[in-house]
Amino acid sequence: MFERIDPRSSTPLYAQIAARIRSAVASGELRPAAALPSVRELAADLRVNPATVVQAYRELEAEGFVEIRHGAGTFVRELAPARRSRERARQARAIVQRMLTEARRHGVSVRELRDAIDAEIGVEAT
Amino acid sequence: MSHAIETESLEYRAGKQFALQRLNIHVPAGSIYGFLGPNGSGKTTTIRLLLALLRPQGGRIRVLDGEMPDDAPRLLARIGFVPEQPHLDVTFTVREMLQFQAAFYRTWDARRAEDLLRQFQLDDHQLIGRLSKGQKAKVLILLALAQRGDLLVLDEPTDGLDPVVRRDILFALLEYVSQYKATILISSHLVHELERICDWVGVLDDGRLLTETPMATLKNGIKRLRVRDAPASIGTAPFVVLARHAANGGGGAVTTAGETWVVRDWAPEMASYFDGIGASLDDVIDLDLEDSFVELLRASRAPAGRS
Amino acid sequence: MFRAILYSQWKWSRLIVAVGTIAGFALPLVSLQGAARADRSPLEAEALLHAVQAWGVLYPLLAAALGLLVAIVTWAPDHRGRHIHALTLPLARWRYVLLRFATGATVLAGPILGVTIGALIAVAAATLPPGLHGYPLALAVRFALAALVAYALFFAVSAGTARTAGIILGVIGAIVVVQVFASVANLELNLADHLQMVLTNWPGPLAVFTGRWMLIDV
Repeated sequence: MFERIDPRSSTPLYAQIAARIRSAVASGELRPAAALPSVRELAADLRVNPATVVQAYRELEAEGFVEIRHGAGTFVRELAPARRSRERARQARAIVQRMLTEARRHGVSVRELRDAIDAEIGVEAT
Repeated sequence: MSHAIETESLEYRAGKQFALQRLNIHVPAGSIYGFLGPNGSGKTTTIRLLLALLRPQGGRIRVLDGEMPDDAPRLLARIGFVPEQPHLDVTFTVREMLQFQAAFYRTWDARRAEDLLRQFQLDDHQLIGRLSKGQKAKVLILLALAQRGDLLVLDEPTDGLDPVVRRDILFALLEYVSQYKATILISSHLVHELERICDWVGVLDDGRLLTETPMATLKNGIKRLRVRDAPASIGTAPFVVLARHAANGGGGAVTTAGETWVVRDWAPEMASYFDGIGASLDDVIDLDLEDSFVELLRASRAPAGRS
Repeated sequence: MFRAILYSQWKWSRLIVAVGTIAGFALPLVSLQGAARADRSPLEAEALLHAVQAWGVLYPLLAAALGLLVAIVTWAPDHRGRHIHALTLPLARWRYVLLRFATGATVLAGPILGVTIGALIAVAAATLPPGLHGYPLALAVRFALAALVAYALFFAVSAGTARTAGIILGVIGAIVVVQVFASVANLELNLADHLQMVLTNWPGPLAVFTGRWMLIDV
C-alpha cells in the first residue's frame, strides 16, 4: 500500500504516509475498525524512523481518521459519509492543483488543458 | 538531559592539513542524527573524540550524563559502537565474541543476541576472520544492539555492503529504536539511507560544521529558483543565497536574463520578495538531500566574492 | 571480566603454553639422563655436573622465550585492531592492561608447573653420587621468576605502539640471548663490556638470568 512513499520528495515522509492512509480510508480501501500496521512493522517495512510513523498516526488521530489504542494498536475509525465525500473532493482538488502547476511549468494554457481533459475522458468513456 | 551529545568548541588538529575547528554539535536525546560529510571532513575523527579514543585539544565533550574522556569507562558501558573497520579479533568465533562482550556489559541482552543471530542468519561457530564483509558488519551491529546501550554510534555502518545486507541492518536498527528510547548517531555517505531515517542532520566539511538542522528543514529549505530580471546585487533577502548562475549553467557574469539561484532557508511566502526587487520568480525546484548536500558544500567552498 | 580475558589469553597462547610445559617438564629429566644408575664414582660426578650445567643453559632461554612469546600474543590482536576494541570496553585502560598482565602470568603457570614437577621427578628418580644434592624447588622458583620477569619486560614494551614494540623487542631479545650465552660460555666478546654495563645498570631483573642453572650441585 505504501509503495509510492518517496523520501526524496519535498513532502515530509510523515505527511506522505498520512496522506496515503487518508485516501485509503476515504476510498474505502481501509475499512472501519481495520488495524493499521504497528509502528514497528511499518517503520521497518518502509525503512523510516519510527518517530515518523508515530507522527503520521498522531496527525491522523487528530483529524479523526484513526484511533490509537495504547497496547492494542491503531485502528481506522468509521467516517461519516459526508466527511468521506469531503475528503475525496479535497483529494481531487489537490490532483487538479498539481496538474495546473505542471501545466504552467510547461507553458500549457488552461484552455488547452481543458480540451485535453475532455479528449482523455472521452477516450476513457469508450 | 535533553541532548545525548553536546560538544562545545571542540578542537583537534592532526598534522598540518587537518583540523577540527571549534565544533559545536548537539545531538538531541532520542533522535536519529545523521552525520554527513565528504571523505576527510573529520567525521571519523569527531566520532573518535566522542568515544574518548582521542583526546581533544580544546573545548568540551558532554556525552549522556558525563564528560569525555574523563568519564569514559562509565559512559562506554552505555554506548554501543560500530566502527568503520572491523576491529575484532579474527581468531574468535562469533559465539566466543558474544560471550566475551557479555562479560563486560551489565545490560547485555542475551535473548536479543540470539534473536539477531537468527535474524541475520549467522553461524555462531564461524570464525570471525572467515566471515564475509557483510557478515562482519552484521556481527558488529549485533554486538552493539545486544549491549542495550542508550547511545549507538555508527561510523559508516553500511558502506560497501550490498543492498540486501544494508536492509537487514537497517531493519534491525529501526526495530531497536522502536523498542528503546535510544539515541543514534550515524555517519554515512549513503545520503539516501539517511534521508529516510534521520530526524536531525549535521553536515561537516573540512573540519567545520556547516549546518545542523532537523532533516525536514534541510531537505525542504534548500531550493533551486528560476529567476528573471534580478538586479546584479541584492540587499538582504529573507533567505540565504548559496549561489547564482546564469540559466544555462555558466559560471560567468550574471545577466538580466534567466538565472538559477540556489537558496537556503526558503519558505513559500518568500516568493513575494521577488516582486519587491522587480524580478520574477518562474519556478521553485525541490532538491533531494543529496543535491542539497552538494549545493551546501559547493557554496561553502566557493571563493569569496559571490553575492 | 577476568574470566573473559583469561579465556582470550588462553586461546591465543595455548600452543605456546603447551609446548613450553612439555619442554619445561622434559628439561630436568633429560639433563639428569644417566644418573639413575647406582654406584657413581667421583669422576662420574664431575661428568654429571657438566651435563647438568650444559643443559641448564636452556632454562633461562626457555623462560625468556616464553616471556617473549606470551607477551607478543597478548598484544598482537590489540595492535591489529588498532586498540579500538579494548579502548571502547567500559573499563579504564590501566585496568585492562593489569588484567592482561595477570592473565598472561596465569597461563605461564603451566610451564612453571612443568619445570617444577619435572625437576622433582628427575631428582627423585636419580641416584646422586655422594656429596651432590638436588635443588629442584630452587630451580623451579628461579625459573618462575625468570619467566615472569621476561614476561613483564616484553609486556611493557608490547603494550606500547607496534613499531617501537617491534624494535625494542628485537634489541632486548638479542641482548638477553647474547648475555646468557656469554655468561655461561665465558666468552670474551667485544660486547662483554657493554653487557657488563647493562648488568650493573639493571642489577635486579636480569640478574636472575645470569649464572649457572644447576639442578644438581654440591
